[in-house]
Amino acid sequence: MFLRMVCGTFYRQWKKMLMIALTVALGASIATAMLNVMLGVGDKINEELKTYGSNITVVPQSESVISKLYELDEDVRYDYLKEESVNELLTIFWANNIVDFAPETDTTVTLDGNEVRLIGSWFNHHLEFIKKGTTYQRDTGLVNLRSWWDIKSGKWLDEQELNGTDYCMVGETLANEKKLSAGDTIRVKGEHGTKELEIVGIFESGDDEDKCIFTTVTAVQELTDTSGLIKKIEVSAITSPDDELAVKAAKNPSLLTGDEYDLWYCTAYVSSICFQIQEAVPEAAASAVRQIADSEGKILEKTELLMSLITLMSLIGATLGISNLVTSGVMERSQELALLKAVGAKNGQITRLVLTETILTAVVGAVAGYFMGYAFAQIIGQTVFNSSIEMNGMVAFIVAVLIVLVTLVGSIPAIRLVLRLRPSEVLHGGH
Amino acid sequence: MNKKKRMFIRMITASLVRRRSRMIVALLAIMVGATILSGLGMIYYDVPRQMSSQFRSYGANVIIMPSGDGFIQEQALQTALGKFPDAELEGYTPYRYENTSIHNMPVTLAGINFDSIMKTSPYWHISGELPEQDGQTLVGAKVADKLSIKTGDSISAVNSFEVTDSTDTSRIPDYEIYTDPKTGEKHCDHALDLKVTGILDTGGSEEEYVYVSLGDTAYLSLADRGYDIVEISAAATQDKLSEYIDNINSSVRSVSAKLVKRVTASESSVLTKLQSLVFIVTAVVLILTMICVATTMTAVIAERRREIGLRKALGANNGSIVGQFLSEGLVLGGIGGILGALLGYAFAEIVSVNVFSSSIMFQPLLIPVTIASSVIVTGAACLIPIRSAVEVDPALVLKGE
Repeated sequence: MFLRMVCGTFYRQWKKMLMIALTVALGASIATAMLNVMLGVGDKINEELKTYGSNITVVPQSESVISKLYELDEDVRYDYLKEESVNELLTIFWANNIVDFAPETDTTVTLDGNEVRLIGSWFNHHLEFIKKGTTYQRDTGLVNLRSWWDIKSGKWLDEQELNGTDYCMVGETLANEKKLSAGDTIRVKGEHGTKELEIVGIFESGDDEDKCIFTTVTAVQELTDTSGLIKKIEVSAITSPDDELAVKAAKNPSLLTGDEYDLWYCTAYVSSICFQIQEAVPEAAASAVRQIADSEGKILEKTELLMSLITLMSLIGATLGISNLVTSGVMERSQELALLKAVGAKNGQITRLVLTETILTAVVGAVAGYFMGYAFAQIIGQTVFNSSIEMNGMVAFIVAVLIVLVTLVGSIPAIRLVLRLRPSEVLHGGH
Repeated sequence: MNKKKRMFIRMITASLVRRRSRMIVALLAIMVGATILSGLGMIYYDVPRQMSSQFRSYGANVIIMPSGDGFIQEQALQTALGKFPDAELEGYTPYRYENTSIHNMPVTLAGINFDSIMKTSPYWHISGELPEQDGQTLVGAKVADKLSIKTGDSISAVNSFEVTDSTDTSRIPDYEIYTDPKTGEKHCDHALDLKVTGILDTGGSEEEYVYVSLGDTAYLSLADRGYDIVEISAAATQDKLSEYIDNINSSVRSVSAKLVKRVTASESSVLTKLQSLVFIVTAVVLILTMICVATTMTAVIAERRREIGLRKALGANNGSIVGQFLSEGLVLGGIGGILGALLGYAFAEIVSVNVFSSSIMFQPLLIPVTIASSVIVTGAACLIPIRSAVEVDPALVLKGE
């Protein structure tokens, strides 16, 4: 009988029930979309912040200290890292968080009688190697690490397209000074010979690099007779903002307790990534570029807080909207419920009937709403960040709990009203 | 006429008061919508300003250099700074570099203004204290490492030069001048005694310098000259900054201002993303709440079909019924809009204080916009159900079908 009554309601009152389901769906979709965006916004903004360039630099370990302390002979190159050490970056625990990296080596060359800094690096390098049976590969280089460069003429040096290594890009200030343009060939003289480099592009960077020439790593190595050696690695990694643990660990990781150490090691703090790089490349010292690392943390934290407050507000909005509709939906049916009372239904029975109907409707609405919310989250992700937003399994759970709670709370005033109804009055037509 | 009007008002107020609970439900829905519109609207407008000041933690976004071989003079600097609106200028630090030697090792000394340095380089990590007065110094970690300098040490920066007849010796203490016994040339080891108050750690090239006050560099070099470079941190968008820079470059010939592209280009891209995020979120939430308001109003009106039927039976024409319901809707929309606008402002303020620890900039225009849109939305939401409601046949409704 109970089942039949419930089915009857859905059959006869499908319009009202549909409206409740629709509102619940709307509310659930707001909640789903906002929660997903909130949980995903950190990653997205972090990716955007990568345009600031590298946040970690890897240099040879205290070159000065070693050579000064032990007065070693000058032939040993303390101020260089092996070019293969770059590969090691892809083997660390947080390798997936390393977005871009490029080795760097430089020298001072003479160009038309002036001393100029010549920097060798990767532009759009394709790195591929096999280590312990695993194939690692990555496309990386300055194209991403110097995203703020404005190419004034010519284009980016394309390592994949050009044959050979004798190509370069020249900073705008230097190009203006020497009247150079893309397509020209310059002759640079280094310690170990001279080289002719073809200019592929002129760039504006807005800092000291405007006075430099950028070329391939090999070209610099040939000029300085340092084959296979580099001076520095620039790394751009997605990191978590520093908190107390990170600050404590940054001082000295060995002071942490076992649990703290595990947590620190397995969190993408800039300090733990630096630590892991040093583990992989023992002769190197990795340090955070404070300007980038600190600011990223700060901005990330603010954005996440902002989004969580906006989400909270949308949730409140959605909650009120749903409970509103549930309340008015039940109120509308006062006549019908009064009739039930008149024919002898007990308060408990009526309450059960109303709740079952409402919750059934809400569940249908919530499921539809969850998928609508998924669509909304994707729309937001595509429009703002040009990438999809990952769905978090936890969100479905939160939304489900929220909807059930809200529906129950929303039904309370309506049920109280129903219980107070006096059948004779309602059925007679008075209010 | 007057009587009719009074009756009309009475009907509306009576219906709002008598059907209290239902009206509160509707009012709540409208209010939530209005709160979201005004709150998120205010946040949307203020996000660039608030975030922009967060982005200042990247440090200087404009640098001024001398245009020729000379130095930047104080007067030229002040004229250049005058091109920035006061409210946007967060801070500026002049740098003056001097070559000197510490512990017989060549070191570059950077004369800066310690009061403003944390504004243009907020990312500096100092173990120890930032110097506060002349005679104190902050040593870059690389230099400190190389020369084994620790916080609390006393060091001495030496400027050695040959004293000729043209040298102004009035500012050099006598004991610093000595004569080379072999050549008979006079030399001077002009020293600046410094107390190390802290070690600077940035992970960048800033660690390769020793920082002292501008006064100390002038003392050590025995020359009053201008600055080598000035770093400026301004809370403005890239377009605005470019405008100021063009302005400076065209009016102050002796200096050349440059945009620190690395900072500004990325900042504007992130800010645009963030603002469009808030915009889309606002739009989505708003559309959903609008639908919510509409469904609530539909429900409220649908249950009053009996009342409509009764009034029609008593001879009311469709127009007056539509008028009454519409007015009720508008009154609700108005009240909800006003309450929502204020609540939204409060919400935006709470968000701003919590997230950015500063007050939100009040957007007066958003208040009328919020009220107007909630009235319009409520009105529109009423119209649809009313139109079908007035079509009812009084006899059928009153009979109870």
